[in-house]
Amino acid sequence: MGRPAHHTIPGVSRGVQGLDVGELRDAIRTEYTHVASDPAQGFHFHTGRPLARILGYEDAWLDGVPEESVASFAGTGNPFALGALRAGERVVDVGCGAGIDTLIAAQMVGPEGEVVGVDMTPAMLERGRASARRGGFSNVRFHEGLAESLPVADRWADVVISNGVLNLFPDKLAGLQEMARVLKPGGRLQIGDILVQRTVGDKAKRDISLWKG
Amino acid sequence: MTVGGFVGFEIASRVDVYAGAPQSSSAAQFGTLGINFRARKAQDDEEWNAALTALTCAVE
Repeated sequence: MGRPAHHTIPGVSRGVQGLDVGELRDAIRTEYTHVASDPAQGFHFHTGRPLARILGYEDAWLDGVPEESVASFAGTGNPFALGALRAGERVVDVGCGAGIDTLIAAQMVGPEGEVVGVDMTPAMLERGRASARRGGFSNVRFHEGLAESLPVADRWADVVISNGVLNLFPDKLAGLQEMARVLKPGGRLQIGDILVQRTVGDKAKRDISLWKG
Repeated sequence: MTVGGFVGFEIASRVDVYAGAPQSSSAAQFGTLGINFRARKAQDDEEWNAALTALTCAVE
């Protein structure tokens, strides 16, 4: 399936004009490094097990996930509320953070399945890798990378999950097209994210402090 | 979503995930809610083109 060369919709921006993408990514990395290193310090969002409860995560899902991944959870939704993953499936977790959803997915797909977690914040990946080792997961890999250029082969995945990350993409269409690239035809997208109900003006879109909170 | 290659987009749930957070947030200023949504990658160009054609907004 090819990418459409001329399908653009008026009002659907390929990024935010005047936004310093490098500065934005640095600010997001800094914020989520704090979430990784001191998740209980108190942010403008809930974190950890209390957040997982708000979002309807089942205790049975969390039982097999080491606490260091649970504690640094900072999602905005619940990809698994959209349907359980099946044994043997291949999954990509885009913006996996400390790996709570990655490791829940790994439990769901079982030893015949595979899960790849991708994140741009090294401190989060360190927690995810440590949790995977502690939990004895052999079907999980974590990679540092950007959502707009996932280190995953074309048509590799049955399912792409993501949680609280798409809203941080400076170019959302590029991120979605990249998710489509790694999915098999008919592959599923199960996303937790945010919905903004009021218009966000151009000035606000360039305000990096608002992207973070 | 459709231009990105997906069909069957559906928002399944909405939750105020920022209420009561330890620090104040700009979320309320913009009516921000946490959501869960699903979609699937089109099976082939035929299905995708049909979805693009069915968009109610203009495509240029």
